[in-house]
This record gives sequence, structure tokens and C-alpha cells, in this order.
Amino acid sequence: MSHRRELLVLLALAVYASPVAWQLLTSITPSEELQQGARLWPSHPTLASYAVVFTQSPLPRALVNSIGIALTTTLLSTVLGTLGAYALARLAVPGRRALVLGILMTTALPAIATVGPLYLTMRALGLRDTWGAVIIAHTSIALPLMLWLMARFLRALPRELEDAAFVDGAGRLQALRHVVVPAAAPGIASAAVVTFLYSWNEFLFAYTFTATEASRTAPVALALFPGVFEIPWADIAAASVNSPSQAARSRHVTAVLRSSSPRASAGSSASRSGAASVAR
Amino acid sequence: MTSGADRAERRLAAVLLAPALAVLAGVTLYPLAQALGLSLERRVPVFGIDEFVGLRHYAFLLRDPAFANALRVTAVFTVASVALEVVLGVAAALALATMRRWRAAGIGLLLLPWCLPGVVTARIFEWLYEPTGWLGIPGRALPALIVADVWRTTPFLALFAYARLISIPPAIGEAAAVDGAGRLATLRAITLPLLAPVLLTAALFRTLDALRAFDLMYVLTGGGPAATTETLTLYAYRHLFQTLQLGLGAAAAVLVLVIVALVAWAHVHALDATEART
Amino acid sequence: MVARLGGLALVVLLFAGCGGGGAPPGVELVFRHSRMPGQDDPLPRLLRGFEREHPGVRVTHEPLPWTADVQHQFYVINLEGRAAGFDVLMVDVIWTAEFARAGWLLDLTDRWPAAERGEHFEATVATAMLDGRVWAVPWVMNVGLLYYRSDLLDASGFAPPRSYEELAHQARVVMERAADRRLGGFVWQGRQYEGLVVNVLEELWARGVELVATNGRVLVDLDGAAAALGFRRRLLTDGISPSLVTGADEEQTRREFGAGRAVFLRNWPYARRLFERPTSAVRGRVGVTALPGGGALGGAHLAINRATHHPELAWQLVRFLTSDRAQLAIAEAVGLHPTKPKLLEPALRSIFAAARPRPITPWYQTLSATMQPAFSAAITGVTPPRDALATARLQLEYFLQGP
Repeated sequence: MSHRRELLVLLALAVYASPVAWQLLTSITPSEELQQGARLWPSHPTLASYAVVFTQSPLPRALVNSIGIALTTTLLSTVLGTLGAYALARLAVPGRRALVLGILMTTALPAIATVGPLYLTMRALGLRDTWGAVIIAHTSIALPLMLWLMARFLRALPRELEDAAFVDGAGRLQALRHVVVPAAAPGIASAAVVTFLYSWNEFLFAYTFTATEASRTAPVALALFPGVFEIPWADIAAASVNSPSQAARSRHVTAVLRSSSPRASAGSSASRSGAASVAR
Repeated sequence: MTSGADRAERRLAAVLLAPALAVLAGVTLYPLAQALGLSLERRVPVFGIDEFVGLRHYAFLLRDPAFANALRVTAVFTVASVALEVVLGVAAALALATMRRWRAAGIGLLLLPWCLPGVVTARIFEWLYEPTGWLGIPGRALPALIVADVWRTTPFLALFAYARLISIPPAIGEAAAVDGAGRLATLRAITLPLLAPVLLTAALFRTLDALRAFDLMYVLTGGGPAATTETLTLYAYRHLFQTLQLGLGAAAAVLVLVIVALVAWAHVHALDATEART
Repeated sequence: MVARLGGLALVVLLFAGCGGGGAPPGVELVFRHSRMPGQDDPLPRLLRGFEREHPGVRVTHEPLPWTADVQHQFYVINLEGRAAGFDVLMVDVIWTAEFARAGWLLDLTDRWPAAERGEHFEATVATAMLDGRVWAVPWVMNVGLLYYRSDLLDASGFAPPRSYEELAHQARVVMERAADRRLGGFVWQGRQYEGLVVNVLEELWARGVELVATNGRVLVDLDGAAAALGFRRRLLTDGISPSLVTGADEEQTRREFGAGRAVFLRNWPYARRLFERPTSAVRGRVGVTALPGGGALGGAHLAINRATHHPELAWQLVRFLTSDRAQLAIAEAVGLHPTKPKLLEPALRSIFAAARPRPITPWYQTLSATMQPAFSAAITGVTPPRDALATARLQLEYFLQGP
């Protein structure tokens, strides 16, 4: 693509993402100005909201909880999902059609109907107010997507890759690990990003299953910021813009996504310099 | 393949699938059973009412104009959102996949809207729409919500489309070019068909999600104005948690499940057909 | 491979145990409430005071998000499941009857002397009672108020209106005289949520129409109710209320009035403080008076979970938090008004005393949730008021009387 075209695309994407930039501006706007209503530019930019967020609010702890829960969910879903997806894609699974539909069905019941019974189950198991309850709930929602999408990705890979490995004497699992997974890396990375962000932003289960700061996640902590009618948007904006883990994760995954094409060659050096510009 | 190898393969499949299936079954079976059972009862804790009524709730739902309205709202929302997300997502993915220098920056920008917590996204649009008043106008509220949803979820489809695109060996595109195919023709004849299975799967999930749309409406409009943004799940929520008609709410949730199941089944069929062709 | 998975499982399990520490010895009371508005939360101080008076007792307080709906949902899930995770809970005035009938609250009638009950405003005590028994103690109180621009009304020689018709007339006159074309007349909460029901109820009361009759029947006077809704609809079509009203909640209308763009505002008392801030555009020009027909009663009570293991201690906590000292501390810190006349500033006393509770019935939530779409359809002109109300009444009959 021509240089100018690329910049145009970039501009379009920047416009698309501009509300997020607006959040950033909101986070440095003094609260008193926001009381009057939404604004675009702060007249006196201030970092006061960040100070409040980091010294007085439970948000830092909530961020830790969120990161831990999201990472664990992603790890669990990715591992279990990829393994299961391989089975669905390449192996003769009895009753595959029914199984696949069944997996989809587990996501069909709206969360508001499942949250009550699940909460009571978690209580009974003693998992209330722990990471475990939220992780289990999130994983169960991420898995169907993981299984399905990974199965699609794996199915799309040419069989020659594995056959070559078999010829070299590798067993199925070894082929999976050394050949299939690297080839499917973009798909796995995408699914991992999706799962992480889903878990990071999820509210209903996180809210219902957690009770104290010990396990409360960021979205729930945001909902608990003081202000019945007056909502401290500056503080909330500061809190939501400030997610170092997101930046790190995006950067790493972007690297995978950029360079994962098996035949990408000319792209590498240019994209490495591009990665630095993603840092937020 | 010998039957021994067959058995070994099946056993391996079982081992690989078991953990995932165990988690899924463990977490979803109990609530599902509970919802089904509840939907056949008239359970209103406030009155201490707890009686078996069979399919009466389902009969009511099928004649309730509010439920029919919810069906319509959900259908419109789902079709519009998913269609827009697919089109915009593929466009973004194609653009990104052919970028050389600024690709990483582009991906970063693309993912940004998706990183925001739901409550923040809702507030952004609440403030954006405030001067227009659309959220209070019956004909405009639903389109306004659709725009907000598309804004938020296009990265999902774009990401998967992009991942699939960069997995396509360039050799295929090059071969087509050698054969004299123009860019648009290549797109139609080669890229899109290769993209289709993954795209359709991602679209399937988005459809299933949209059918259960809840958060955005709940926060921004509460189903209003005049119930023009009340989706099926919001309708179920109203009865489960606001009117505390637990049986009726459960029945509504089960109907959502049935609808989602039907759509999923239809989609799977279409997907298999596409797959058989490629 | 299997060993790796096992190792992974172990790591996950370790993580799963994270969070939620063990409980120290002694008695622990758990108090759930919606977190306090503003930065200065008076509760920790108060609770430490309680702990000092009761050695060996620890009070853990766990806040809930601000949306009343989300809180309600939380309570329903917990209390329906008979899970006694908390001892004392803060209940909105409109839920008390519902929770009491559901059997989730401890009966306080014999613990709370009638003399002390009399110290609170009668209306708010009424919302804490069901079938002659008492189920909660009033904690904070809200009343719907009519805010007006005293400077604009004075310029036209008007005294604060005594009826909604008069209000509409005054608004129209002031708007016509105003240099600013953007000035709106009357802003109120018309979005499809509980606030809309509150506003419509206030209109109904001004006309002597009841939503729920004393015999429990709903919308007995369908035409009267339709006329009330029609009036509100005409406020919008005549331009006396700006169109933003149909999507507006408390905050949006507060900002509208606070920016000087409206003559009249219906809102809760919290807005007073905001209008008198140094940066407020309407500082010193805002008057407050009672709404025609009376303002709706809002606020919250403290109740005790029936499944509590420490009823006596929980009761002590409730008494402590509803004492004069505590209510004053809360009023000062966060501006939530006390429930006893003697603690309230004299200017507000008569207005608060005239507060009208929303229908005190266990099925108020059902009523409200069914009415909201109907009211919204009427004021946005989607459905004629009478039709919308008739449909809602039919639906309610299915819910309440069953098949």
C-alpha cells in the first residue's frame, strides 16, 4: 500500500478511536468543570484525578485483581480451548455435530438467568469473594468461542504441515506443539486478546461473585466510585485510561500478529520500529 | 487406518476435549436445569407463591405484545449490528493486512475502543448523544444504540478477519496476479472465500451475543423510550429482578435460549455448507 | 504433556484461593449499603465509634454500586437464596414492603418503642411498615422539590406556583419575555425509569388521582390518570418542557437548570448544594418550594436480615446508625437529609412533612416496572395515554392475580 494511503487509513482509525482520546482529556479535566457537563478541552489541565485514583481509591488493588483474573482466564481458556479445538478439527470425535452444537448452547442462556444459581453454587463451594469463582465463570464463557474459532483456524491450516511432521516421526501431540500451534499463532493470539479483554471488562459475574477489595475487579471498583448523582468522571476516566497491563499485552500480541505470517519477511524490521509507537 | 489407531485417536480426542467440556458442563448445566424448572412454576417470593403451572408462562409470552416488541427490537438490533460490524471489520482488516509501515499503530488504534470498560463506553455515548437528545426519541434511540455497539465491537470481527488474512500465504495472491487478475477480482474470488469460514464463525458468535444484548440498553435507556430499545434479555431481566416474577422471567430466558439455539443451528448448517464448498 | 497440564491446574488452583482472607475471632457484623456520595465518607468513623462502644465486635461494611437497580438485584439474589452473608442492610423506601412480605427481614416491632418511632417523619415510618408491623428504621430521607429561578419569577411578578397549570402558565410567560431563546420552561425526569414514575405520581397527586386505590386495585380512575399523562405530553408538544426531558434523568435536568437554561426544575434536595457553589451559574438565584400536590418521598432505611446470627447486636448497630448524632454526621458529610423533624433545618420541615410515599405495597416494583414503558409511550406520543394505561393494567392483572 502506498505511503499516503497508509496514512489515510491511520487517520480513519484515529478518528474511529477518538472517543478514547476524549476519555484521556476528561481524565485531566478538573472535576468542577465536569459538574457542569461534558467538555472537550479542559481549561486547566490537572493530574489531580490520577492522584486521587492512585492514593485514595481501591483501584490499584482492583487493577491487580483484574489482571490476575483476566490472565488466568486467558491462560486456562487458551490451553484448554486449543487442545479441544485440535481434537475437533483434526481427530475423529464421536458425535461431533451434536457436541459442537452443545458447546454453542452453553452460551445461549443469558447471563442474567445463570448468575443467580451460579452465585449460590459458588457460595456453597466456599468460593465467594475469591478469584476462583470469577475465573471459572469467565472461562466457561470464553471456552466456546475459543473452541469454535480455534477449530476453524486449525481446520484452515493445510494438512501438509502435520503430514510432514508425521513423516519425520513425530507423534500427534508433538506435531501439535511444534508445527500446528506456531502456524495457528495469529488465530490463537486473537482469541487470547478477545478473551483477555472480555474478562477484563466483564461486570455482571465479577460484581455478583465478589464482595470486598480482596477480589473486586476494576469495572466493579469503577462502579463503586463515590457519587450518587454526581459521578466523578475525571477519576473514572483516569482510572480506565491507566491500564499498564493493557498496553503491555497489546504490544506483545501486536508483535505476534504482525510477524506471524509464515512467510513474512520484508515486514519484520519495519514493524519492530512500529511496535514502539503503540506504547501508551 | 486400522481400528486400533482409530481407538487411539478417539481416546486422544477424549483426553484433549475432556477438561474444556468438564468446565462447560459443570458451569452451565445447573443454571440451565434451574431455569427450566423455574419456568414451569409460578414463583413470586414476594407473595410466597410457589406453584406448578406448566406451560402457562410460555402461553402468556407468546401472546404478550411486550414480548413481541422485544423480539422485534432484538431482531433489528442483531441484524443491523452484525451486518455493519462484518462490513466495517473486513474493511479494516483488509486495510491493515496490506499496510507495511504503520501496521502496528493501526492495530493499536483499532483495539482501543474495545479496551474501555462497558460503563465508560456507555457514558461516552451518553454524553455524545446528549446534545442530540436521540436517546429520548422513540425512533432514534435504537439506531443510536446500534451505532454505539458497532463502534465498540467492530474490533472483534476485524481482529479475527485480520488474523485469518495474514495466515493466507501470499503465494496464492501472487499466483492470481500472475494470471492477470485485478485486485478486486482477487478479493472476490480468492480472499473472501478463504476468509469466509473464520469470518462467519466470528459473525456467528457476534450474532449470538447480539441476540442476548443487554448492557448497553440497560445503562443508556433502560429499555426506553416507550420500550423501543427493550431487547429480549432486558425483558427477561425486568421480570426476573424488577417485578420478581421469577417463573415468568425464567420462561423468557428459556425462550431466548431456544431462539439462540435455532439461529446457531441454522448458522452451523450454513457454515458446513460453505466449508464443503472450499 | 499431562504433567504440564497438572502443573498448570495446580497454579490455577493456587490463584483461585487468592483473595478473601480468613475471619479474625470475635463477632463480626456485616453491613451492606450503597456507597456514600461525595468524597467524605462518614461511615468508617461512625462504625469505629460503634466498635468502641461494643468491644469484641467488628463491623465490616461493604458498599454496593450506585444504581438502585443493581443493588436491588444483588439483594434479590442473596436473600432469595437464603444466604446470610450480611446482617444489616440499607433498603430503599420502595423495597421495604416487598422484602418484608418475602420474609427476608427481621420484624422490629417489639424492639423499637413507639415513642422513638414518633420522632421520625410519619410518611417515612409508614414506608417501613407492612400489615401493622415494623420492618426497618428510617435512615436518610429525600423529598421531591420544585426549584425555580427566583430572579425570573420576580421580574414577572410571580409568586411560586401552586398548581401545575399555574406553573405551565408562568413558564410560558417567562419564556416569552426572555431574551434567551434557549430558555426552557419546566424540566423534569421523563426517561423510562423509576424517576418517570415518581414524576407522574406527583402529577397524579396534584389532581387527586391515585395510582393504587385503598382497596388495592390499580388505575381505578383511568380517565383521570390519562388526563394527567396528557398534560405532561402537552408540556412537551407546547414547548414548555424541552424535548430532552423524555430522555433525561436527575443529573441531566440538574445540569440544564444549573446552567441557567430552565425556569423550573423538579428534583431531589441534593441539587441545592450544587446550585449554591461558587462556580454555579445560578448561584443566589434559586428558590425552593413544595411541589403542587406534594413531593414524592425517597430515601432509605436500615433493616436486619432475618437470617442473621446476631439479631440483638444488629439491632444495636441499627439504633446507633439512626441516632441523632449519626444522622447529623451523615447529613453534614454527604448531604443526605435526616428523617427526624428536629434534625432538619426549619425551612424544609413543612415540605418534608408533606412528603408523599409511593404506593406502599409489596408489589411496587412490579407496578413500577410495568408502568414505566406505558408512561414513556404516553409522554413521547407513541401511544395515546388511555391505551397505554389500559394495556399496562391488563398486564398487571396477569402478574398480580395470576391466571
